[in-house]
Amino acid sequence: MSIESPSLGYGLGLRTPYYQEILEQRPNVDWFEVISENYLVEGGKPLYYLDAIGEHYPLVMHGVSLSIGGPHELDRDYLRRLKQLAARVQPQWISDHLCWSRGNAHQLHDLLPLPFTEESLQHVATRVRQVQDVIERPLVLENVSSYLRSADDQFTEWQFLAALSELSGCELLLDVNNVYVSARNHGFEPWDFISGLPKQRVRQLHLAGHSDYGSYLIDTHDQPVSDPVWQLYQRTLRHLGPVSTLLERDDHYPPFAELLGELDQARAYAAVALEGVPTCA
Amino acid sequence: MRLNDWQRELESYLLGSDPSAKPALRASLLGSLALSAEDGLAIYHNAYRARLLDALRGDYPAVHGWLGDVEFDALAGAYIDAHPSQHFSLRWLGAELASFIDTYLVPEQAIPLGELARLEWAFSLAFDAAAGEPLSMAQMASLPAEDWPALQVRLLPSVQWQVCRYNSLALWRACKAQSEFPGSQTLEQPLVCLIWRHGLVSHYRSLEPNEAAALHGMAVAGWSFAELCAQLHELGEGAPLQAATWLRQWLSDGLLQRHGG
Repeated sequence: MSIESPSLGYGLGLRTPYYQEILEQRPNVDWFEVISENYLVEGGKPLYYLDAIGEHYPLVMHGVSLSIGGPHELDRDYLRRLKQLAARVQPQWISDHLCWSRGNAHQLHDLLPLPFTEESLQHVATRVRQVQDVIERPLVLENVSSYLRSADDQFTEWQFLAALSELSGCELLLDVNNVYVSARNHGFEPWDFISGLPKQRVRQLHLAGHSDYGSYLIDTHDQPVSDPVWQLYQRTLRHLGPVSTLLERDDHYPPFAELLGELDQARAYAAVALEGVPTCA
Repeated sequence: MRLNDWQRELESYLLGSDPSAKPALRASLLGSLALSAEDGLAIYHNAYRARLLDALRGDYPAVHGWLGDVEFDALAGAYIDAHPSQHFSLRWLGAELASFIDTYLVPEQAIPLGELARLEWAFSLAFDAAAGEPLSMAQMASLPAEDWPALQVRLLPSVQWQVCRYNSLALWRACKAQSEFPGSQTLEQPLVCLIWRHGLVSHYRSLEPNEAAALHGMAVAGWSFAELCAQLHELGEGAPLQAATWLRQWLSDGLLQRHGG
């Protein structure tokens, strides 16, 4: 087992185009992950559907703008609102990304990579502890896809994540697709990354599709999961045991049945992997 | 390079128009055989502007449709440069676009386009505003007769009050219907348009001047029901009936909350 709590099973990212079908069909989805920022509003459809769907499914809150590695002060108003939302949603856990999304002066609205240095490690660990003091639970941090690598790196990304979780008590959201994308872009072995993480800190897995630009990949979340990522997912599960798995889709939304079919694919791949049968697409 | 210095360099690069990085930033990065540092930087540089433009196109479909891609992107790009995002959510990126249009374009273009932008932003504000506590017809029906004269109401949080001097509503409708845009025209007299959310559904309607004055008096200026009737004195004995008719309409539209009492 990765973390000492049962896996939630197989979930989907909750997205607007599917709200109505979810409520009407109550599909075979074990849980939903919601983008926290989409619900930091005063009222209307977003909160209505959040509440209605939350009555039937476990929810996890996943943020995109905490900017845990940013140069700015932590946004106390954002954290206060996040905590209010958590009181409403009662999420199984709260996650965001190991990145920075806000600079000294402005919001940059991207998941920007950090240099993996001792200075970054201390900076992020301090801020993770501050966030955890507010949200009163471990923060779960996700590895991002990246297209830049600092010449000053003193750690690999997986060493950095391991050290960060040790220093701060944070947990990890392992995005298998992001590992694959970054590995292709920066020329490392994806399995070195995954096997280098502390197993007991991995709370959740992400699966998503990417776009292939020839020599490099971009994490677009607009396609089905690729075969190499399914293979990596199976190997990850054999290594970690059952872990809550989430399928993300953020553009080129297919009919809901198609997305449910892809989630069933995840279940099938996982069943095989967890039986130890070495077969994959 | 220190973390903060590196982040300042990258932020400055992302916000700038030059897709080539300064030597200090370039030297801080390693490329790979698969992805050079220059290409990696360009991915972030392009994504920053594309993401923000996309958000503005989503918030202002009628302004976008009216201007076309090239002119809209020029406007939006200038806006992003003048108003880099300050809010953690892209939901609020476009909040100042109408005001920016007022200063960016010559007045004969700015005034109708700014009005259209304000109308579109009003729909965004109505969409996810707080629900408030709508005053229902049933609550009104149970109001004792002696409480009617002192009754005061306010607009619910989602209600947006727009005064149109141009045919912005027709432009907005044309965009919604994906039909051809009518030419921009000045209206014979200004038109009050309300945009609000009733339950989960966004609504809009224009108000005749008398109704607009009555609603403004009661829900914005703070008249009581008795004062509303008094303001309608030229209607004589018909004043209370007209006031009650409007009030019933506003309640069934879902525009009002009770104030005081």
